[in-house]
Amino acid sequence: MKKIHITNDSVKTVLYPLVFGIILVVLWQTQVLHRLLGADTFTLPLPSRIGSIIADNFGVIMLNVKATVFVALSGLLLGSLFGFILAAIAALSPHWGMGGLTIATAFNAVPIVAVAPIFTNLTKDFSSDPNVRSMFAKTLVVMITCTVSMGINAYRGFTELKPFSLDLMKSYAAGKWTAFFKLRLPNCVPYIFTALRISVPGCVISAMVSEYFAEYIVGVGRQIRESIVLAQYSTAWAYIVVACLVGVGMYVILLFFEHLLLKGRRIK
Amino acid sequence: MQREMKKPVWEKIAASPRTVTVVWVIGLVLVWEAGAFAVEAVKRTPENVLPHLYQILASVFSTKKVTASQTAVQIVIINACVTLGRAGIGFVIGAAAGYVLALCMRLSGAVEKTVFPYLMLVQMIPILGMAPIVLAVTRDIDKSRVIIAAILTFYPVAVNTLAGFKSIEKEKFELFHSYAATTPQIYVKMMIPASVPYLFTGLKISAPMAVTASILVDTLQGGGGLGCMLSQSLKHAMSIYVFWQIVFFSAFVGILSYYGIVLLERIVSPGRRNQTRNAGGAK
Repeated sequence: MKKIHITNDSVKTVLYPLVFGIILVVLWQTQVLHRLLGADTFTLPLPSRIGSIIADNFGVIMLNVKATVFVALSGLLLGSLFGFILAAIAALSPHWGMGGLTIATAFNAVPIVAVAPIFTNLTKDFSSDPNVRSMFAKTLVVMITCTVSMGINAYRGFTELKPFSLDLMKSYAAGKWTAFFKLRLPNCVPYIFTALRISVPGCVISAMVSEYFAEYIVGVGRQIRESIVLAQYSTAWAYIVVACLVGVGMYVILLFFEHLLLKGRRIK
Repeated sequence: MQREMKKPVWEKIAASPRTVTVVWVIGLVLVWEAGAFAVEAVKRTPENVLPHLYQILASVFSTKKVTASQTAVQIVIINACVTLGRAGIGFVIGAAAGYVLALCMRLSGAVEKTVFPYLMLVQMIPILGMAPIVLAVTRDIDKSRVIIAAILTFYPVAVNTLAGFKSIEKEKFELFHSYAATTPQIYVKMMIPASVPYLFTGLKISAPMAVTASILVDTLQGGGGLGCMLSQSLKHAMSIYVFWQIVFFSAFVGILSYYGIVLLERIVSPGRRNQTRNAGGAK
C-alpha cells in the first residue's frame, strides 16, 4: 500500500490514546476518579492493588480463564461450523434456506439470559460429573450465538457474487458443485471473517453469561459474580481485568489471522 | 414472469416466502413438542426441563395465583414494565451520548484519534460480565440497569454514526462550500440527515442488547424485574411456568425491539434505508 514513514499524523494516532489511557490510570491511582464517581477504594480498588491480586492468585485465575476460553472456543468452533453448513445448504437451495435463515435471525434477538437456564436443565442427564455437564450446557449456549452470525454472513458470501460471475460459470458448463467450490466458496472467505468479528467478542460474552446459570462454579464470569457476592471487590476487579485481556487477546489473534489470510480482501 | 403466471395455485402458495416461514415455524414447534414428549417419558417433573407449548400457553391464561396476590401473567407484565422501562431509558441515553460523541469525533480529529481506539476496545471486552461490578459501585439496581444498557447502546451507535459521517461524498462538501454555507449549516442541512440511516443501523444492533442487559442485571439482585423473577422461578420460589413465560416473553421483546427500530426508521426516513445491512440482526 503506502510506504511506511513516520509522519506527524501517525505519531498523533498512537500518542493521543496512549496519553489518554495514562491520564486515566493516573487519575484512578491517585483517587481523583473515585471522587468523580463517588466511589471508594473498596468497591473501586486502585490499579496497583488489582495488579498485585492478579500476581498473587495467578494459578487460580488461569484455571478459570482456561474454563472460560475452552467453552468460548469450542462453542465458537461448533457454532461457526454449524452456521457455515446451514449457509451452504441454504445457498444450494435458496428458496427454503433463506426462510430458515430468517427464522435463525429471529433467534439472534433472544436474550442469552433466557437460553442459558434452558440448556442447563436440558443437559442434566448428560454426565454424572457436574463440571462436564455444565461445560456441555455452556458450550451449547455459545454455539447458538455463534451459529446465527456465521449462518447469515456465510450465506451472503455464497450468494452475493460479482455480477455475471455465475453466468460465466454456466457458460463454461460448470455444474452446481463446481460453481460452489470454485466460485461461491472463495467468495465466502471474507464474509467468514466478518462473521468471526461479531462472534469472537460474542462468544466470550455468552460464555461468561452462561456461567452465571451453570451448576458448576467455574469460569471468569462466574468468579466476578461470586467475588461480589462475597464482597471481595478487588478479586472481582482482577477477574474483570483478566476477562478484558482475554477478549482483546482473542480479537487480536483473529485480526492477525485475517490479515494473514485475506491480505486486503476485506469487505467494507 | 410469464411462466410463473401459469403455475397452479398451490405451487404459488408454496413459493411465497411467507409459506416458507410458516413451514419453518411449524417445523420448530414439532421439534419442541417431540422433545417435550421424550422428556415427559423419562422425567418425573418434565415441566422443569421442557414443558409442552400448550402447557405454557395454558399458564398464560390461567387465573390461578402463583404468589399471594398475582397470577403468572401479572407477575411477568408488572416486572417487565420495571425492566424494560430502565432498558428504554438506558437505550435513549446511550444512543444520544453515542451520537454526540460521533459528532465530536467528526468535528475534531484529536478527539477521534483519542477516543476511537477505546471504542474498538469496548467492542472487544465483555461488558455484560462487568454488570455485577457496576452494581457494586453504584449500589443501585435501577442505576446499574440504565448504565449497562447505555454502555451497550453507546458504542454501536457511535461507531456506525461516525461511519455515516465519513461516507459522505467529497463532492457534497464542495457543493456546500461553493454555496458559501457555514459549518453549522453544513451539519444541519447535510451531515446530520446523511447520518440518520447509519444511526439506525447502530440502534438496530443495540436494541436487543439493551433488553438482554437489563434482564441480566435483574438476576443479580432481588427487588423486582424480569430477571429477578426468572431466577426466583428457577429456584422454585414460584411456579416454573413463570420462568417459561419470561423466556418466551423476553425472546418476543428482543425480536420486537429490533422491528420497533425498523418501524421507527420507516417513519423517520422512509425510503432512505442504509443499504449496508448489518449481519448482527435480522434482515
